[in-house]
Amino acid sequence: MLDAIQFSSFAEFVDMGGYGFNVWSVYALFAIFVAVNLILPLRKKQKIIRQLKRRITLDAEIQSEDDSSSD
Amino acid sequence: MWVWFFKLGSPKWFYELSGRWLPWLIAAMVIFMTIGLVWGLLFLPPDYQQGFTSRILIVHVAVAGTSLAFFPLLLVAGTITLVWRMKLADMVAKNAAILGAWFSFITLATGSLWGSVMWGTWWEWTDSRLVSMLFQLFLLLGVISLRSALEDSDTAAKACALLSIVGCINVVIIKYSVEWWNTLHQVSSPVNMDASSPNGPEFWIATLIMIVAVYLFLSVSLILSTRNEILFRERKSQWVQDLVSKS
Repeated sequence: MLDAIQFSSFAEFVDMGGYGFNVWSVYALFAIFVAVNLILPLRKKQKIIRQLKRRITLDAEIQSEDDSSSD
Repeated sequence: MWVWFFKLGSPKWFYELSGRWLPWLIAAMVIFMTIGLVWGLLFLPPDYQQGFTSRILIVHVAVAGTSLAFFPLLLVAGTITLVWRMKLADMVAKNAAILGAWFSFITLATGSLWGSVMWGTWWEWTDSRLVSMLFQLFLLLGVISLRSALEDSDTAAKACALLSIVGCINVVIIKYSVEWWNTLHQVSSPVNMDASSPNGPEFWIATLIMIVAVYLFLSVSLILSTRNEILFRERKSQWVQDLVSKS
Protein backbone atom coordinates (compact mmCIF):
# COMPACT_ATOMS: atom_id res chain seq x y z
CA MET A 1 0.00 0.00 0.00
CA LEU A 2 2.62 2.53 1.10
CA ASP A 3 4.92 1.85 -1.84
CA ALA A 4 2.09 2.95 -4.14
CA ILE A 5 2.69 6.52 -2.90
CA GLN A 6 4.12 8.47 -5.82
CA PHE A 7 6.69 10.46 -3.84
CA SER A 8 9.82 9.38 -2.00
CA SER A 9 10.28 12.60 0.01
CA PHE A 10 8.19 15.45 1.37
CA ALA A 11 10.03 17.91 -0.89
CA GLU A 12 8.98 15.88 -3.93
CA PHE A 13 5.39 15.87 -2.68
CA VAL A 14 5.42 19.67 -2.39
CA ASP A 15 7.05 20.06 -5.79
CA MET A 16 4.51 17.87 -7.66
CA GLY A 17 6.92 17.25 -10.52
CA GLY A 18 7.44 20.99 -11.06
CA TYR A 19 3.70 21.84 -11.00
CA GLY A 20 3.58 22.48 -7.25
CA PHE A 21 2.13 25.99 -7.46
CA ASN A 22 -0.77 25.02 -9.71
CA VAL A 23 -1.63 21.72 -8.03
CA TRP A 24 -1.53 23.12 -4.50
CA SER A 25 -3.43 26.26 -5.48
CA VAL A 26 -6.25 24.08 -6.81
CA TYR A 27 -6.39 21.96 -3.66
CA ALA A 28 -6.21 25.06 -1.43
CA LEU A 29 -9.03 26.73 -3.38
CA PHE A 30 -11.10 23.56 -3.15
CA ALA A 31 -10.49 23.32 0.62
CA ILE A 32 -11.54 26.95 1.14
CA PHE A 33 -14.61 26.45 -1.06
CA VAL A 34 -15.75 23.38 0.91
CA ALA A 35 -14.93 24.85 4.34
CA VAL A 36 -16.65 28.20 3.70
CA ASN A 37 -19.83 26.60 2.41
CA LEU A 38 -20.10 24.35 5.46
CA ILE A 39 -18.90 26.70 8.21
CA LEU A 40 -20.91 29.78 7.16
CA PRO A 41 -24.32 28.02 7.30
CA LEU A 42 -23.42 26.42 10.65
CA ARG A 43 -22.45 29.78 12.14
CA LYS A 44 -25.53 31.41 10.69
CA LYS A 45 -27.71 28.80 12.40
CA GLN A 46 -26.18 29.61 15.78
CA LYS A 47 -26.75 33.31 15.13
CA ILE A 48 -30.41 32.78 14.18
CA ILE A 49 -31.05 30.64 17.26
CA ARG A 50 -29.34 33.20 19.52
CA GLN A 51 -31.48 36.00 18.11
CA LEU A 52 -34.71 34.03 18.38
CA LYS A 53 -33.88 33.07 21.95
CA ARG A 54 -33.29 36.69 22.92
CA ARG A 55 -36.60 37.61 21.34
CA ILE A 56 -38.46 34.91 23.26
CA THR A 57 -36.99 36.01 26.61
CA LEU A 58 -37.76 39.66 25.76
CA ASP A 59 -41.34 38.78 24.88
CA ALA A 60 -41.66 36.85 28.14
CA GLU A 61 -40.36 39.84 30.13
CA ILE A 62 -42.76 42.23 28.46
CA GLN A 63 -45.54 39.75 29.10
CA SER A 64 -44.73 39.52 32.83
CA GLU A 65 -44.46 43.33 33.14
CA ASP A 66 -47.88 43.66 31.56
CA ASP A 67 -49.24 41.11 34.00
CA SER A 68 -47.83 42.89 37.06
CA SER A 69 -48.97 46.35 35.93
CA SER A 70 -52.52 45.15 35.35
CA ASP A 71 -52.80 44.12 39.02
CA MET B 1 -47.57 10.15 -3.80
CA TRP B 2 -49.36 13.52 -3.56
CA VAL B 3 -49.59 13.34 0.20
CA TRP B 4 -45.83 12.76 0.28
CA PHE B 5 -45.25 15.62 -2.16
CA PHE B 6 -47.18 18.15 -0.12
CA LYS B 7 -45.72 16.91 3.14
CA LEU B 8 -42.27 17.56 1.68
CA GLY B 9 -43.41 21.09 0.92
CA SER B 10 -44.04 21.70 4.60
CA PRO B 11 -40.96 23.42 6.05
CA LYS B 12 -41.46 21.80 9.46
CA TRP B 13 -41.59 18.30 7.98
CA PHE B 14 -38.49 18.95 5.88
CA TYR B 15 -36.65 20.38 8.87
CA GLU B 16 -37.28 17.25 10.93
CA LEU B 17 -36.52 14.81 8.12
CA SER B 18 -33.31 16.56 7.03
CA GLY B 19 -32.22 16.68 10.66
CA ARG B 20 -32.30 12.87 10.69
CA TRP B 21 -30.47 12.59 7.35
CA LEU B 22 -27.73 15.10 8.01
CA PRO B 23 -25.44 13.02 10.25
CA TRP B 24 -25.39 10.22 7.66
CA LEU B 25 -24.81 12.58 4.75
CA ILE B 26 -21.99 14.33 6.62
CA ALA B 27 -20.37 10.99 7.53
CA ALA B 28 -20.54 9.80 3.90
CA MET B 29 -19.17 13.15 2.69
CA VAL B 30 -16.19 12.99 5.07
CA ILE B 31 -15.40 9.40 4.04
CA PHE B 32 -15.56 10.09 0.28
CA MET B 33 -13.68 13.41 0.57
CA THR B 34 -10.91 11.78 2.60
CA ILE B 35 -10.52 8.80 0.25
CA GLY B 36 -10.70 11.04 -2.84
CA LEU B 37 -8.22 13.63 -1.62
CA VAL B 38 -5.69 11.18 -0.16
CA TRP B 39 -5.85 9.04 -3.28
CA GLY B 40 -5.70 12.07 -5.54
CA LEU B 41 -2.75 13.71 -3.79
CA LEU B 42 -0.63 10.70 -2.82
CA PHE B 43 -1.42 7.65 -4.93
CA LEU B 44 -2.60 8.83 -8.35
CA PRO B 45 0.20 8.04 -10.82
CA PRO B 46 1.43 10.94 -13.00
CA ASP B 47 -0.15 11.17 -16.44
CA TYR B 48 2.17 10.21 -19.29
CA GLN B 49 1.72 13.65 -20.89
CA GLN B 50 0.45 15.94 -18.14
CA GLY B 51 2.61 14.75 -15.27
CA PHE B 52 1.15 15.62 -11.89
CA THR B 53 -1.25 18.24 -13.27
CA SER B 54 -3.71 15.36 -13.68
CA ARG B 55 -4.24 15.82 -9.93
CA ILE B 56 -5.91 19.14 -10.77
CA LEU B 57 -8.34 17.43 -13.12
CA ILE B 58 -9.98 15.09 -10.62
CA VAL B 59 -11.07 18.17 -8.61
CA HIS B 60 -11.89 20.27 -11.69
CA VAL B 61 -13.97 17.58 -13.42
CA ALA B 62 -15.93 16.78 -10.24
CA VAL B 63 -16.77 20.43 -9.49
CA ALA B 64 -17.46 21.32 -13.15
CA GLY B 65 -19.76 18.34 -13.74
CA THR B 66 -21.67 19.02 -10.53
CA SER B 67 -22.05 22.72 -11.38
CA LEU B 68 -24.26 21.72 -14.32
CA ALA B 69 -26.88 20.41 -11.87
CA PHE B 70 -27.79 23.86 -10.52
CA PHE B 71 -29.86 25.31 -13.35
CA PRO B 72 -32.00 22.17 -13.78
CA LEU B 73 -32.50 22.30 -9.98
CA LEU B 74 -33.45 26.00 -10.14
CA LEU B 75 -35.89 25.33 -12.98
CA VAL B 76 -37.64 22.53 -11.05
CA ALA B 77 -37.73 24.63 -7.86
CA GLY B 78 -38.99 27.68 -9.78
CA THR B 79 -41.76 25.67 -11.45
CA ILE B 80 -42.87 24.19 -8.10
CA THR B 81 -42.90 27.69 -6.57
CA LEU B 82 -44.97 29.15 -9.40
CA VAL B 83 -47.40 26.24 -9.83
CA TRP B 84 -47.92 24.92 -6.30
CA ARG B 85 -46.83 27.97 -4.26
CA MET B 86 -44.56 25.78 -2.21
CA LYS B 87 -42.48 27.89 0.20
CA LEU B 88 -39.82 25.22 0.61
CA ALA B 89 -38.97 25.16 -3.12
CA ASP B 90 -38.34 28.90 -3.03
CA MET B 91 -36.03 28.56 -0.01
CA VAL B 92 -34.03 25.84 -1.80
CA ALA B 93 -33.81 27.97 -4.95
CA LYS B 94 -32.47 30.99 -3.08
CA ASN B 95 -29.55 29.03 -1.60
CA ALA B 96 -28.94 26.90 -4.70
CA ALA B 97 -28.26 30.03 -6.77
CA ILE B 98 -25.59 31.18 -4.32
CA LEU B 99 -23.94 27.76 -4.07
CA GLY B 100 -24.14 27.35 -7.86
CA ALA B 101 -22.22 30.60 -8.36
CA TRP B 102 -19.51 29.25 -6.05
CA PHE B 103 -19.34 26.02 -8.05
CA SER B 104 -19.06 27.90 -11.36
CA PHE B 105 -16.35 30.16 -9.99
CA ILE B 106 -14.28 27.23 -8.65
CA THR B 107 -14.69 25.45 -11.99
CA LEU B 108 -13.27 28.46 -13.84
CA ALA B 109 -10.45 29.02 -11.32
CA THR B 110 -9.28 25.38 -11.20
CA GLY B 111 -9.56 25.16 -15.00
CA SER B 112 -7.41 28.28 -15.36
CA LEU B 113 -4.77 26.88 -13.02
CA TRP B 114 -4.61 23.75 -15.17
CA GLY B 115 -4.73 25.59 -18.50
CA SER B 116 -1.99 28.02 -17.53
CA VAL B 117 0.55 25.19 -17.55
CA MET B 118 -1.00 22.72 -20.04
CA TRP B 119 -2.38 25.15 -22.61
CA GLY B 120 0.01 27.97 -21.81
CA THR B 121 -2.90 30.36 -21.26
CA TRP B 122 -5.12 31.27 -18.29
CA TRP B 123 -8.07 32.28 -20.39
CA GLU B 124 -9.19 32.11 -24.02
CA TRP B 125 -12.16 34.18 -25.16
CA THR B 126 -12.58 32.14 -28.33
CA ASP B 127 -13.14 28.85 -26.51
CA SER B 128 -16.82 27.93 -26.29
CA ARG B 129 -16.53 25.77 -23.15
CA LEU B 130 -14.77 28.51 -21.18
CA VAL B 131 -17.10 31.28 -22.30
CA SER B 132 -20.31 29.28 -21.75
CA MET B 133 -19.16 28.40 -18.22
CA LEU B 134 -18.45 32.09 -17.55
CA PHE B 135 -21.94 32.84 -18.87
CA GLN B 136 -23.38 30.36 -16.34
CA LEU B 137 -21.58 32.22 -13.52
CA PHE B 138 -23.02 35.56 -14.72
CA LEU B 139 -26.52 34.09 -15.07
CA LEU B 140 -26.37 32.79 -11.50
CA LEU B 141 -25.12 36.18 -10.24
CA GLY B 142 -28.08 37.65 -12.15
CA VAL B 143 -30.50 35.29 -10.37
CA ILE B 144 -28.97 36.21 -6.98
CA SER B 145 -29.23 39.96 -7.55
CA LEU B 146 -32.76 39.69 -8.98
CA ARG B 147 -33.87 37.82 -5.87
CA SER B 148 -32.29 40.32 -3.50
CA ALA B 149 -33.72 43.26 -5.43
CA LEU B 150 -37.26 41.87 -5.61
CA GLU B 151 -37.39 40.09 -2.25
CA ASP B 152 -40.19 37.53 -1.88
CA SER B 153 -42.27 38.88 -4.73
CA ASP B 154 -44.09 37.06 -7.48
CA THR B 155 -42.19 39.02 -10.09
CA ALA B 156 -38.89 37.74 -8.67
CA ALA B 157 -40.10 34.13 -8.83
CA LYS B 158 -41.22 34.57 -12.44
CA ALA B 159 -38.06 36.38 -13.56
CA CYS B 160 -35.85 33.75 -11.91
CA ALA B 161 -37.82 30.90 -13.50
CA LEU B 162 -37.30 32.57 -16.87
CA LEU B 163 -33.56 32.96 -16.25
CA SER B 164 -33.46 29.27 -15.23
CA ILE B 165 -34.79 28.28 -18.67
CA VAL B 166 -31.97 30.26 -20.29
CA GLY B 167 -29.58 28.65 -17.79
CA CYS B 168 -30.76 25.14 -18.71
CA ILE B 169 -30.26 25.81 -22.42
CA ASN B 170 -26.78 27.06 -21.52
CA VAL B 171 -26.11 23.83 -19.59
CA VAL B 172 -26.72 21.89 -22.81
CA ILE B 173 -24.39 24.28 -24.64
CA ILE B 174 -21.69 23.82 -21.97
CA LYS B 175 -22.06 20.05 -22.17
CA TYR B 176 -21.75 19.79 -25.98
CA SER B 177 -19.61 22.89 -26.62
CA VAL B 178 -16.46 20.80 -26.91
CA GLU B 179 -18.03 18.67 -29.64
CA TRP B 180 -19.84 21.43 -31.54
CA TRP B 181 -16.95 23.87 -31.63
CA ASN B 182 -13.63 22.17 -31.54
CA THR B 183 -11.42 24.94 -30.18
CA LEU B 184 -9.18 24.70 -27.12
CA HIS B 185 -10.95 22.72 -24.40
CA GLN B 186 -10.55 18.98 -24.95
CA VAL B 187 -13.54 16.65 -25.28
CA SER B 188 -14.28 14.43 -22.29
CA SER B 189 -12.28 11.23 -22.32
CA PRO B 190 -14.31 8.04 -22.70
CA VAL B 191 -14.61 5.91 -19.56
CA ASN B 192 -11.77 3.47 -19.80
CA MET B 193 -11.32 0.46 -17.55
CA ASP B 194 -8.38 -1.03 -19.41
CA ALA B 195 -5.55 -1.14 -16.86
CA SER B 196 -2.83 -0.87 -19.50
CA SER B 197 -4.14 2.36 -21.08
CA PRO B 198 -2.62 5.75 -20.17
CA ASN B 199 -5.80 7.01 -18.50
CA GLY B 200 -6.89 3.75 -16.99
CA PRO B 201 -9.14 2.75 -14.10
CA GLU B 202 -7.13 4.41 -11.33
CA PHE B 203 -7.85 7.82 -12.84
CA TRP B 204 -11.54 7.02 -13.39
CA ILE B 205 -12.15 5.65 -9.94
CA ALA B 206 -10.40 8.63 -8.32
CA THR B 207 -12.56 11.01 -10.38
CA LEU B 208 -15.71 9.03 -9.59
CA ILE B 209 -14.99 9.14 -5.85
CA MET B 210 -14.47 12.92 -6.07
CA ILE B 211 -17.74 13.34 -7.99
CA VAL B 212 -19.64 11.44 -5.28
CA ALA B 213 -17.83 13.47 -2.59
CA VAL B 214 -18.69 16.78 -4.29
CA TYR B 215 -22.35 15.80 -4.75
CA LEU B 216 -22.55 14.86 -1.06
CA PHE B 217 -20.96 18.21 -0.18
CA LEU B 218 -23.53 20.01 -2.36
CA SER B 219 -26.38 18.21 -0.56
CA VAL B 220 -25.02 18.89 2.92
CA SER B 221 -24.32 22.56 2.24
CA LEU B 222 -27.68 23.13 0.55
CA ILE B 223 -29.59 21.35 3.33
CA LEU B 224 -27.75 23.37 6.01
CA SER B 225 -28.53 26.72 4.40
CA THR B 226 -32.12 25.72 3.59
CA ARG B 227 -32.66 24.77 7.24
CA ASN B 228 -31.42 28.24 8.26
CA GLU B 229 -33.84 29.79 5.81
CA ILE B 230 -36.68 27.71 7.31
CA LEU B 231 -35.80 28.75 10.88
CA PHE B 232 -35.73 32.40 9.85
CA ARG B 233 -38.86 32.50 7.70
CA GLU B 234 -40.88 30.39 10.14
CA ARG B 235 -39.56 32.19 13.24
CA LYS B 236 -43.05 33.24 14.34
CA SER B 237 -44.49 29.72 14.18
CA GLN B 238 -45.01 27.68 17.34
CA TRP B 239 -42.74 24.77 16.35
CA VAL B 240 -39.71 27.04 15.79
CA GLN B 241 -40.35 28.81 19.10
CA ASP B 242 -40.52 25.44 20.87
CA LEU B 243 -37.36 24.27 19.11
CA VAL B 244 -35.43 27.41 20.07
CA SER B 245 -36.48 27.38 23.72
CA LYS B 246 -35.50 23.71 23.98
CA SER B 247 -32.02 24.19 22.47
